[in-house]
Amino acid sequence: MLLIFSRKILEALLTLGLATSILFILIRLAPGDPVAIMIGQSSDVASSNTERYEQKLLELRSEFGLNQTIFQQYFIWMKQLILFDLGDSIHTGRSVMTEIADRLPATILLSVAALFIQIVLGILLGVLSALKFGRFFDHLTRFLCVLFASTPGFVIGLVLLSTFAVTFSTYEINTEAKLSRLWLPALTLGMIGAPQWIRTIRANMLTEFGQPYISSAVSRGLKYRRIVEHAFKNTLLPIVTMTGLSLTTLISGAVVIESIFSWPGIGKYALDSILLKDYPVIQGYALLMIALVIVIHLVIEIVYSFIDPRIHRKGEENVKKDY
Amino acid sequence: MLKKIINFKKSTSFIAGIILLCILFILIFGASIISPLDPVEQNAAERLQKPSLEHPLGTDRFGRDILTRTLYGGQNTLISSVVALSVALLIGLFVGLVAGLFHGTLLDAVLMRIIDVLLAFPFMVLAMIVAGLFGTSLFHLLIVVAAVWWVSFARLARSIALQVKSETSFAAAQILGASHLTLILKELLPKAAGPVLVFATFELGTLILSISALSFLGLGSQPPSPEWGSMLADGRDHFMQTPHILLGPSLFVILTVLAFNLIGEGLRDRLDPYEKFE
Repeated sequence: MLLIFSRKILEALLTLGLATSILFILIRLAPGDPVAIMIGQSSDVASSNTERYEQKLLELRSEFGLNQTIFQQYFIWMKQLILFDLGDSIHTGRSVMTEIADRLPATILLSVAALFIQIVLGILLGVLSALKFGRFFDHLTRFLCVLFASTPGFVIGLVLLSTFAVTFSTYEINTEAKLSRLWLPALTLGMIGAPQWIRTIRANMLTEFGQPYISSAVSRGLKYRRIVEHAFKNTLLPIVTMTGLSLTTLISGAVVIESIFSWPGIGKYALDSILLKDYPVIQGYALLMIALVIVIHLVIEIVYSFIDPRIHRKGEENVKKDY
Repeated sequence: MLKKIINFKKSTSFIAGIILLCILFILIFGASIISPLDPVEQNAAERLQKPSLEHPLGTDRFGRDILTRTLYGGQNTLISSVVALSVALLIGLFVGLVAGLFHGTLLDAVLMRIIDVLLAFPFMVLAMIVAGLFGTSLFHLLIVVAAVWWVSFARLARSIALQVKSETSFAAAQILGASHLTLILKELLPKAAGPVLVFATFELGTLILSISALSFLGLGSQPPSPEWGSMLADGRDHFMQTPHILLGPSLFVILTVLAFNLIGEGLRDRLDPYEKFE
C-alpha cells in the first residue's frame, strides 16, 4: 500500500516537473523582451535618453539572469519555483504570491458552492430520472440536460444577471466577494455542470438496477426504499472521480463566470493580467492551475484505492481507464 | 415491443440532430444568398436598432445587421473548430493506436507520460496562457486545440486497441506476418474509428462552446471579423438596454451545439448498450 502511494506521489512530481518545463519553454518562446516590457511600464526610464535605457536594460537582464545560458536560466527558474518565489506583478509591483493568495479564497468559495449545487441537483434529478425511467419526467430531464449542456455558460450567466439584477433588482452589481453576492454566480456555475452529474448518476443507477443483486432483493420482497438505497450506494464510487474532475473544471472554468459577475477571484485576475500583459502573473496563475490539477488527480487516485480495494488487484491499467 | 419504442426514441434524437444541423448548415453557408448585407461594413445611422423587417434580429452598436453577422460568424466558428478538431482527431488516433500496439514497451510508456503531462493543462488555462504570452487570436487558439485536444482521443483509441489485441482475428493477422502498419490500418483502425468519431461529435459541441467562451472573454477571434463569442462580448456592454443584440448569436451557438449533442447522443446509444435495463 505504502509502496503504491509513494510511487504515485513520485509520478505526480515527475508530471509536475515536466509540465512546468513545458511552461518554461512557452514563456521563453513568447515574442518580446520581458525586460523591455517591464521598463516600458515604468515611464521614467523609457522616456529618458537611449544610453540610460540600454544600461538599465543590461542591468535588469543580469538581475533576472537573462544573460546566462538557457539551461542556467532554467535552473534559476526552477529554484525560484521550489522556493515559491513567483516574482512581482509588473502592474502593481506587489508579489504575485500575495496577489494570488488574496483572490484564491473567493474562487474556492465560488467553486465549492457551485460543486455543492451540482451534486445536490445531480443526485436528486439523476436518481428520480432513473426511477421514472422511460416516463415523461425522465424524458424531460434528459432533454433539459442536453439543452443546458449545449448552452454556453456566459449565456446562462447573462440571462440570470439581467433577470435578477435588472428586472427584479435583487442582486447588487459590484466587485466585492460578499456572501450575499455568492448565490447567483454559484447557481450559474452549478447549472452549467449539473447536466453531466445528472446523466452520470442516472446511467449508474440504471446499470445497478440491471444487476442480479437487485432482482434478488426484489424477489425477497425488500422495501422499495431499501432497494433504491442499495443501488445508490454503489453509484457513489464514480462520484468521487467526478468531484475531483468537476473541481478542476470549476476552478479553471470559473474565469467566464467571475468575469460576468465581477467576482474578484483568480480567474478574473488572470484575465485582467492577460489584457495588461502582466507576464509574472500569467506565469503564477498557470503554475497554480497545473499544480492544482496534478494534486487533484493524485488525491482521486489515492481516495479511489481506499474506497475500492479491487483496484490494487486489477493493477494500474484499470485505474487509468476509469476516468 | 418496449425495445422497439426505445430504438425509435434513440433514433429520434439522432434524426432531430441531423435535421437541425442541416438547417443550420444551409443557413450558415448560404449566408451570402440569404442576406445581401455586408457583415463587416459599419452604418452609423442604423446603430442599435430593434428587430424589424429589414433587420430581423436588429443591429449592433456599429449599425451592422446582426442576422448577417451571426450567419457569417457561423462559418468562422464551424470551419475553424472542425479543422482544429480533425487535426486533433488524427493525432489522437495515431498516437493512441501506436501506444496500444506497442503496449508494455518503452514507446507506450513515453506516450502515456506525455499524455499525463498534457492532462495537467486544462484547455481553458492553456488557452489563456498562450493568449497572454503570444497575443490573442483565433489562430493561436486553434493551435492550442490541436495541441491538447488529441489527448482524449488517444486514450480512447489506446483502450480500444488493447481490447482488439486480445481478439483472435488480431492474433491471426500477427501470425500471418502482418507489418505494424497493416496491423494498425487493417485491424485496429476499423474498430477504433467508430467510437472515436462518436466521441468527436460530442467534443465538437464542447469545442464550439469553449471557443465562443474564449472569444467572449476577448481571447479568441478579434473584431471586426464576426464570430459568435466575440459578437456576444461586443453586445455585453449594451445588453441591459438592448438585450436583443445577444439573441441571435446565443441562439445559434445553442442550436449548433445542441445539434451535435443530439447526434452524439443518438450514436452513443446505438454503440453503447448500457441501457439494456427494461
